[in-house]
Amino acid sequence: MAKDRLRELFADWEAVIGLEIHTELTACATKMFCGCPVEFAGEPNTRVCPVCLGMPGALPTPNARAIEMTVLAGLSVSCEIARESRFHRKQYFYPDMPSNYQISQYDQPFCGLGFIDIQIDGPEAKQRIDRDTAANVSPIDGDGAAYSARIGITRIHLEEDTGKMVHVGGAEGRLQGATRSLIDFNRAGTPLIELVTEPDIRTPEEARRFAQQMRLTWLALGISDCNMEEGSMRVDANVSVRRRGEKGFGTKAEIKNLNSFKSLHDGVAYEIVRQIETLEAGGSVIQETRHWDASAKRTSALRSKEQAHDYRYFPDPDIVPFVLSDEWIEGLRATLPELPAARRQRYRTEFGLSAYDAGALVSDADLATLFEETLGLTGAAKAKAVANVVLNDVAAFLNAEGVALAQSRLTPGGIAELVELVSDGVISSKQAKEVFAEMAASGQMPAEIADTRGMRQVSDHSAIEEVVDRVLAANASQVESFRSGKTGLLGFFVGQVIKEMGGQANPKVVSEILGRKLGSGG
Amino acid sequence: MAISEEQVRHVAMLARLSLTEEEVVSFGRDLNSILVHIDTIQRLDLQGVEPTAHPLDAVNVTRPDVVSPGLSRADALRNAPDSDGRAFAIPRIMGIEGGDE
Repeated sequence: MAKDRLRELFADWEAVIGLEIHTELTACATKMFCGCPVEFAGEPNTRVCPVCLGMPGALPTPNARAIEMTVLAGLSVSCEIARESRFHRKQYFYPDMPSNYQISQYDQPFCGLGFIDIQIDGPEAKQRIDRDTAANVSPIDGDGAAYSARIGITRIHLEEDTGKMVHVGGAEGRLQGATRSLIDFNRAGTPLIELVTEPDIRTPEEARRFAQQMRLTWLALGISDCNMEEGSMRVDANVSVRRRGEKGFGTKAEIKNLNSFKSLHDGVAYEIVRQIETLEAGGSVIQETRHWDASAKRTSALRSKEQAHDYRYFPDPDIVPFVLSDEWIEGLRATLPELPAARRQRYRTEFGLSAYDAGALVSDADLATLFEETLGLTGAAKAKAVANVVLNDVAAFLNAEGVALAQSRLTPGGIAELVELVSDGVISSKQAKEVFAEMAASGQMPAEIADTRGMRQVSDHSAIEEVVDRVLAANASQVESFRSGKTGLLGFFVGQVIKEMGGQANPKVVSEILGRKLGSGG
Repeated sequence: MAISEEQVRHVAMLARLSLTEEEVVSFGRDLNSILVHIDTIQRLDLQGVEPTAHPLDAVNVTRPDVVSPGLSRADALRNAPDSDGRAFAIPRIMGIEGGDE
């Protein structure tokens, strides 16, 4: 419903979307400014000290590893890395922040302007109606089914996370109607990076793909577990709309509580439709923060104070500035792993995969590893066949069973053997499905399964020739008709031969032999 | 440069301080004398002088990412006006927007 409505409205309107992505550096052993451990959950207020409780006189000291990870994150998305950087205090009052200011960064973040290229494929690519003309967009594969969009990154800065509050007495732990609140400072002080994009995103699908690619990137760098449900990765979206062709920006709303990729897509889609419908009805969009309710499928305005935020940033006098050398930065750059956009490109050029298949493999680190390890056994020439098994059979099996690859009995060796049985003509692709199911269930190897089940196709020419001769002799009148032009009868002969051989003849070899015999008059 | 009573009230509100009328006047006077001092500095020719945010020359002071002992929960909660023995407890929050909401 919303999707159709969106497509309709996008004929005349364009959405302008920017994202803010907060990610906890959960790979750090300790918090940003003190030696308390970084962990999820556990008993409240058991990982706290005078620094992360904001007690007077306690002195924060930055975590060296967190700064490295931040710069690594910046390098992975082509950010300019600041040679001079510092921490500022951002002043505001909220009970989950014990010192009444957050140590953050202001005008000298570690990472400045950067960008990434995202890939949009599948039906959602059609959300972008100007995909053939937009400046930051280029087609992939030339068939219009997939495109790449370059999304600018404004900055990445490093700060500390807040504590967690539970509101007691209200509905579902929310503030409305609560009688009091309980605060757990275990999370307070966890290193947190905030990535801000340029307003370069135009569709809900682009927003989703961007966030997914950032998650893959942070996972590849090993800086965070990026668990959206647990809140270690949190996405807010700034959304505004304008008539197509307009250059200025409309009034934006900030959408919060987008705690899954689906929520991000659906929340942004809802908000775009809401803003356009408001404007078309003669109303105006108000600059405000809105909360996405995933069960009611709508956004609603949050209560907030009228006055604009006045954070009164100033350099934190407890923390001395940072001067980063080229040498140190280049040392980190040398440790960068292969990143999603480069890997997609490699799968297309090196293995000849479609943009869609390359994107699907790269979006799942487990499947990508299985694909590459299997190719190590079969050789790159069988890349498409391996990709098919991994993306169809393996993905469907894991999905249906609700298990991770590591918990399954599937191995690169098993997949490689299966692909080779099919490509060598030993079993048919239909039989391969059955063999796969058995392999996934029991862990038995494909060749063994094919043997036990008597599946091996007969590709032996002399054995097949014998049966072909028999079949042709028994159907003399059909042979006559075939030779007088009813070539459609070939299928009939193939069927007869396979039936005669108990379904185990290789159809390709059978057709070959039949064609030869019928053609030559023999 | 002089600070108005209006500005004193605004700054007090941002810092969640409630001032009496007398305090607004006396803090205004104190703040003004600081601003006069700043005015004196601003009359100097500071072309080419980098803003100083820190009196020390030190840079890049960090600590290794190694766990160190913190407080027991009992100690952490000891000064809290209210708690349930596990978490800090606070009264109902009125109409402000923050990180979690």
